[in-house]
Amino acid sequence: MNHPLWDPISPKNKSEMSDIMQILAKMPIFSDLDSKELKEVEKIIYHRKYKKGEPIFRMGDPGLGMYIIINGAVEIVEEPENGTRTKLAELEKGAFFGDMALLDEKPRSASAIAMVDSDIIGFFRPDFLDLLYRKPRMGIKILWALSRVVGERLRKTDEQLTNLQREMKAKRHE
Amino acid sequence: MNNTSATPTSQLSKTIWRIFLIIMGVAFIFSIFSYVKTVLLMLLIAWLISVILNPLVDYLESIGFNRALAILTIMAIILGGIIALIIGIIPTVIKAVESISATLKSDLISNLTIQLEQFFQEKFNNPDLARDLINKAEQIGGALLVEVAGFLKNAGTYVAFVGIVPIITFFLIKDRRLFKRALISQVPNRYFELFLNVLHKVDSQVTKYIQGQAIDALIVGLLSIIGLFIINLVFDNPVPYFFVIGMIAGVANLIPYLGPYVGAVPAIVLTILNNPDNVGYIIFWIIVVFVLVQLIDNNLVSPMVVSKSVNMHPITVVIAVIIGGNIAGIFGMLFAVPFWGIIKVTMREVSWGLRSYKLK
Repeated sequence: MNHPLWDPISPKNKSEMSDIMQILAKMPIFSDLDSKELKEVEKIIYHRKYKKGEPIFRMGDPGLGMYIIINGAVEIVEEPENGTRTKLAELEKGAFFGDMALLDEKPRSASAIAMVDSDIIGFFRPDFLDLLYRKPRMGIKILWALSRVVGERLRKTDEQLTNLQREMKAKRHE
Repeated sequence: MNNTSATPTSQLSKTIWRIFLIIMGVAFIFSIFSYVKTVLLMLLIAWLISVILNPLVDYLESIGFNRALAILTIMAIILGGIIALIIGIIPTVIKAVESISATLKSDLISNLTIQLEQFFQEKFNNPDLARDLINKAEQIGGALLVEVAGFLKNAGTYVAFVGIVPIITFFLIKDRRLFKRALISQVPNRYFELFLNVLHKVDSQVTKYIQGQAIDALIVGLLSIIGLFIINLVFDNPVPYFFVIGMIAGVANLIPYLGPYVGAVPAIVLTILNNPDNVGYIIFWIIVVFVLVQLIDNNLVSPMVVSKSVNMHPITVVIAVIIGGNIAGIFGMLFAVPFWGIIKVTMREVSWGLRSYKLK
């Protein structure tokens, strides 16, 4: 599956770690934070358990924030009102999704559904904005890292678009 | 096991059981309300103070303060202010109470003297005289005892308020996020995002509303104090306790439409009691001050600081104030409108959430 929006941005290449703090440390958007700052993030995240087949969010719901898979797997699917269900990506332990919702409340562009029983943590926009106000230095580090992630996704989208244009041109010349 | 396999009969019995539990819960809350009223009032006041102080604590945290230290610093400053205010006001209040009680006592004694004289003149040989006097003395003594008991009871409540409210406030500010997380952890996954989003929106709007009301009350109070102070300067102190009246006007401003009268009436009554020269002229200027304060408030202050999202019809305000007064006396009257504002915002956001989220 190769969708720029839902393609996972690889976590840092660190040794296998188990607890939430270590998983947070591996996330690209928290990669600039020190351990004290990561503890602050730990205070405002939500740890949830989802059963197999349970939706984490639905396409069209207002965007609220991002999720990180601690254990389990999640599928990202397009579910148009009266259309066919299309699987966009399968995400596994350590992957994160929904990060664009940290920036605005635009409706979710796809649904996220647990493929197996999964442990997931959520980091949400209102808490992020509150953190930005209370701890501006730390908030800017997260915002900067988030910009890098969004930039990387944009670059991937650009590459795919360019390739697609090339393919179309080639087909027209044939 | 699939939950949908439950029979319609078992679903009906589950629904009936739920309704029964809800009714029992509501009945239980009503039955214990009178016992927990004081505690609820303390929690409500502590929560309101925490909402007002939270932005200051957040600001201090943003410039490097530890959160607990930031709360303690702000509370110490406020406590210092209150102590200074009490030291400044208490002697004036005691003086006022003494002068009023002296007037009352002299009237009472003179009335009693007249009555006794008439009594002795007309019925000197009446055998019920002694019994009547003893009854009277008993009644007065009983009433005094009831008053003292009432005062002691209230004094205990006030001490509890002064001691406990700051402690609750401290923890409500310090562990605000922990309380929120504990609450949200109980919400099922299906409603998690909806609940979280609606809670944030309600929290944000209610916070803005309460902070706006607090700033508005502060400005109205200050303007009233300044206005009455100028009258006192120009007319040789005709308005006694203008500082207290100004503060009452500020707090009463929490009640739209009715609040301004609550501020103006005591000022006029106390001026009449003070009986200065040109009393009519001074009353005219007091009315001018309160009208000006309201004009400034309605056209400049309120539009800037108070959220327009909680606008209310005057009839709603009157009904809310009456119901609030019935439930919790003067506190109920003061907080009825803000409380109704909070309910209104909550209902609107919940309705938005239910429309926006797919709950399937």
